[in-house]
Amino acid sequence: MLPVKEIFPQLYQQTVNMIYHRPVVKWLRSHILLLSTLILTGNGLYAQDGHALFQANCASCHSPFKDVIGPALKGVSERIPDKNLLHEWVHNSNKVLASGNAYFKGLYAKYNTPMTAFGSQLSDPEIDAIIKYVETAQPPGPPPTANGTTPAPEEDNTLLYGILTLILAIIMFVMLQVNSSLKKLSDDKEGIPAHEPIPFYRNKVYITFGILVLFIVGGYFLTEGAIGLGRTKNYQPVQPIFYSHKVHAGINQISCLYCHGNAWESKHATVPSLNVCMNCHAAINEYTQGPKLIREDGSEVNGTAEIEKLYSYTGYDPKTGKYTKPAKPVEWVKIHNLPDHVFFSHAQHIRAGKVQCQTCHGPIQQMDEVKQFAELSMGWCINCHRTTKVNFPDSTGAGNKFYSIYERFHNDLKSGKMDSVTVESIGGTECQKCHY
Amino acid sequence: MTRKISLFSLILVALIAVAAGCSDIKREPGRVYMPDMAYSRAYETYSVTEAERDSLFSKYGAHFSNTPVPGTVKRGAMFPFLLTKDAPGDSTNYVASKAVKNPLTSMDTVEAERLYLVNCAICHGPKLDGNGPLYKDGSGPFSAAPANLTGKAQYTSMPEGQMYYSVTYGKNKMGSYASQLNTQQRWMVIAYIKSKQAAGKTGAAAPAAAPAGAPAVAKDSTK
Repeated sequence: MLPVKEIFPQLYQQTVNMIYHRPVVKWLRSHILLLSTLILTGNGLYAQDGHALFQANCASCHSPFKDVIGPALKGVSERIPDKNLLHEWVHNSNKVLASGNAYFKGLYAKYNTPMTAFGSQLSDPEIDAIIKYVETAQPPGPPPTANGTTPAPEEDNTLLYGILTLILAIIMFVMLQVNSSLKKLSDDKEGIPAHEPIPFYRNKVYITFGILVLFIVGGYFLTEGAIGLGRTKNYQPVQPIFYSHKVHAGINQISCLYCHGNAWESKHATVPSLNVCMNCHAAINEYTQGPKLIREDGSEVNGTAEIEKLYSYTGYDPKTGKYTKPAKPVEWVKIHNLPDHVFFSHAQHIRAGKVQCQTCHGPIQQMDEVKQFAELSMGWCINCHRTTKVNFPDSTGAGNKFYSIYERFHNDLKSGKMDSVTVESIGGTECQKCHY
Repeated sequence: MTRKISLFSLILVALIAVAAGCSDIKREPGRVYMPDMAYSRAYETYSVTEAERDSLFSKYGAHFSNTPVPGTVKRGAMFPFLLTKDAPGDSTNYVASKAVKNPLTSMDTVEAERLYLVNCAICHGPKLDGNGPLYKDGSGPFSAAPANLTGKAQYTSMPEGQMYYSVTYGKNKMGSYASQLNTQQRWMVIAYIKSKQAAGKTGAAAPAAAPAGAPAVAKDSTK
């Protein structure tokens, strides 16, 4: 008998991909197996929650595995066995430092950056969820070995549970069939006249059950699809050059603003012009040190060849170090797109709001191929605007001064200097209140 | 019975095929409710209509995003640097730039430090020791050692104007930063470097003059 591999090469490849390729596993986890998780209790949801909390609150300064702005967090529960102390540190790091804790003082001296005080922003169970995630998180797979084998797939219990559910369902189905056959046999033996045997696909119970399942599954995908229409979350187009943010912003620690400097000053973050690439790539003409570059579909990328693509766009000759041919622009594919009727300014968010790039763009420093991390839906914007607190100027004058008028009104009302705030005081006579 | 089995296995195979065929690599943006609202019909940054593409690209090439008209000064901007870039092999203006003084009288030092850290520290190091993350004592990807701005007399005694020339037009492996930093920002960065150099200077007397045109990427032997 021929092995499956030879009979159905494509199917075999797909099945292998399914097992070894993480996005597919993720897809399975989130879609099909969601139903089975309903049956098999909400296993794993808690750790997932910790992951999201970690990404939203900690990931801009901490990694579970590497020292970033702050220390690597893996093993934190061994280093600080006292959970209360750890909670206290996350809530108000200054207080812990002031109390003279030697361990945290040492950390402060080493990293020279104060830990953000989260106050009531994170509850104790949430901190515990984050720690649970950090302790169970596995580092991203090591660069594949020289012979190009795919790294072993990380353990994913959800997949296992899903398969188990499927097997159990099949067993149940078989047992039901066996049961009905046996019943028929025993009925025959006892002489009870058997009614016409009904094949399972005409059995009304099975049909009803099947329709019900189809209805639920179909309804789920229909709703998901309708909500997802017009949202391009996870959009990850193929770019003309395989530019890895992981290599540039992650491994080589280039500031986001080095290339996207306009984000500091304008509405747009902008894609840098080619001369900015050539600031470094006039000297760096091969990719030898970093990890292997792998496309999302699993194929390998030759980093040096990608740098040569840049040279072909700029007309640069790396041998002589001169620009010999006419340059042509790289037509990068825009990923994050806001509808025409939305005004969004990068400068306002990162300068006044002090929002980190990663808050909206996700762990960009870990992405080889950039994908849209956030939904960019209105609800997503609104949620952040609802929860973000305005950083009013403190006693030293540092902070967002734009809304200080409200703070002044508040203080004046409190001290009795004013008895009320009129519409005019809050900009009610601005021309554009009516004429826009 | 065989019919049942074949039907069942067919369904199973179909399910596996469907599951394997889908993935969450999303190479296309997907559909939208109202395309003319999602994708702007007006001109936006970097946008180009299909009809214009070829003519614009052939006309402007890589400078498709236009630069200001030569010789114009933005309202409120500083007076520009008048020395032009030397032709290859020439160093007239590089030498002449020594005489140019920093026109800034005061500046926002926090902003100057930020500009340095964003644009320069990647090679020259956050401590100005020429050992940024791209070089890392030679183990980084950048092959040329960046200038050690605090440790070498050649740089500590380099006149501001000459530094400005190098930042504006590039020097050796360093590219021009004129597109990333405007005139004022470049002078701010230079004032920041000079203030750090002054702070880092030890009691040793500074050598009188730096050789003009000395290689800025000479290997740092002190490392």
